[in-house]
Amino acid sequence: MDASDELVRRLSLKRSDKLGHLSPEGFAELERSVSKNPSLFVDDEHEAAFLEVGKALARIEDSRDEEENLDDDAYLRARRHHLDRLVADCDRALSLDPGCVDARLLRVLAADQDPNEALGLLLELQQEVEEQDGPLVVPDSGDAWDDVFSRPRLRLDAAVARTCFDGARYRLAESSCRSLIEHAPSDLLGARLTCSLALARLEDEKGLNALDVRFRRAGNAWMHLSRALLMFKLDRLGAAQRAIMGFANLCEGGAYLLVHPTYVDIYLPDRPSFKPGSFEESLLAVHEADPIVVDTPDFVAWASTLPEFVAKAQGFDDGADAGW
Amino acid sequence: MSFDPRREDYLRLGLRFARTLDSKDPFGAARAISTFSRRYDQNRDALPQSDGDRAFHLVAEATDLIDYQLPFASDEAVQPLLDNAGKLLDEALDLDAHCHDATRMKAAAELLSFESYYRFLEANAPAVRESCLRRRDAAREEFGARADLAGDIALRPYLRWASTEAAKALICGRYTKTIELADELLELDPTDQCDVRFTAALAFAKLEDEAGLERLARGRNVRLASSTGPEHADAWLLMARVALAYKRRDLTCAREWLARITESYPHALETLSRQDELPDGVFARLAVAPHSEDELILAVSEATVLLQEGRDENGRGTLGAWVAAQTGVPADASARRA
Repeated sequence: MDASDELVRRLSLKRSDKLGHLSPEGFAELERSVSKNPSLFVDDEHEAAFLEVGKALARIEDSRDEEENLDDDAYLRARRHHLDRLVADCDRALSLDPGCVDARLLRVLAADQDPNEALGLLLELQQEVEEQDGPLVVPDSGDAWDDVFSRPRLRLDAAVARTCFDGARYRLAESSCRSLIEHAPSDLLGARLTCSLALARLEDEKGLNALDVRFRRAGNAWMHLSRALLMFKLDRLGAAQRAIMGFANLCEGGAYLLVHPTYVDIYLPDRPSFKPGSFEESLLAVHEADPIVVDTPDFVAWASTLPEFVAKAQGFDDGADAGW
Repeated sequence: MSFDPRREDYLRLGLRFARTLDSKDPFGAARAISTFSRRYDQNRDALPQSDGDRAFHLVAEATDLIDYQLPFASDEAVQPLLDNAGKLLDEALDLDAHCHDATRMKAAAELLSFESYYRFLEANAPAVRESCLRRRDAAREEFGARADLAGDIALRPYLRWASTEAAKALICGRYTKTIELADELLELDPTDQCDVRFTAALAFAKLEDEAGLERLARGRNVRLASSTGPEHADAWLLMARVALAYKRRDLTCAREWLARITESYPHALETLSRQDELPDGVFARLAVAPHSEDELILAVSEATVLLQEGRDENGRGTLGAWVAAQTGVPADASARRA
């Protein structure tokens, strides 16, 4: 989540409403001024709270960089401390605006609890927001993401979908993703990624194809992995082999990561951004797919019998070694 | 009813014994039949039998070692037990090269990954089916008045083969395939002697296919061998319903289905809290009494695929943790018993 960019948009929109009609050039000028010093433009408790959320996220981001070099025990202590601090930061935001959706969402996520418990809290939050603000209004553009004030709710919906997935509730995950895609077809939150994994797990080949077509077969690490898993599950090993090699060839480090699962911390509040085809993309996809990879116990062992797959994993490993 | 190899051995010899009797002397035949049970107990080997019958008897002995003695054997007894069982299975195959139970059980010991055993079962299923259907037709012809029973027994090795394949498909994460196999078996044997519908119920829950599960549940009391009656849903069906309600986050409904389990099975709370994972029977699903504590232990063990799913920190699986919490049995109490 790019909180500072969103804050600038929000503050600029609110200020321009106050100022009356601005030309596009005028608005651009206003945005430039806001981005130089956003806090000067905070006029109400909602934006004051959102400003705090932005600061809290920047702090947690910095602290995660610090955590990287710690040993296991020190890491766990530091991580707990940082998450507790995030909760305190969110509470400060909520003391300004108790309805701040991002702060409430982050509070639930920072507790890092069982997906069943977390889902209960997220669904409650979803319901309260719906009661308070009414149903999500999709602007004329047809995409709720275009309304910057709707984004917190979309993030909440995406977190619900991922939490359903993590709690092995695949139909619920799928329907949450579909509704998110309906409301925000640009899908900047990547509901389609969670959705593809759920469809693979449910062995819904038609559903997975339709999703792929809907996004113009653009391809991504999740879709490649989903297809490979699905074909393996349906016992079509030739197709599974082509799909897993697609994943290994197009997603940097993908083969290596499947063989060497790598820890990824909880998303706060949404999936970190990544460059298409990058190692980060593969890392996130393999991490998210973990519950359904484990559910297909011999999938990785099967892939590891394919010489070209092993070569790909090994090649990445050697390259990474050389790079250190 | 799962398959009890001792009983099947008894039936096989009984069929052959009855065939040797003189149909023109009904009183003599009746007298002889009344002595069969005693003769089977006292001097089984002296009864008339084919090589196939002898081979099956060895399979029954190997099953006793692997499925019923091994789980309770001391560490040093394990290897001799396995060696003995292996010898019995080799002998069975020497007597009857088409003793599919022996082939399958040997493969189970040799192919250690789920995938390799599944692959083996899948690759050979058509030939085993063909062979068993041929034997069924031959048995029907040979045993005249007892054609149905003889044909049924001749088909059983394939029922066991394919139901094992279905169970392995489930563990391998191939749920559509599990259901396809179950459909085929239910068509071949509507009495479902191998209880493949239990495996299918878990697969429907994995696919979160409520309609499919209810179709299976409705079809199940048509002509089933185990006459548990519609009011006594089995533990597999109930576990599948618990999982489905939980997955759609209808926790009240999930609790109601759990309550049905605790009402129908003795000591259910402990079993649901412990969630022991047992090795599968190698001959077939272990033979246990319907609605016994042991049956629930088996069903919960097979439902591991549902219980241990999802991302959770304690390694129990999200449904597993929830179910254990519902039982109210403290975790340390179940650990002591385990």
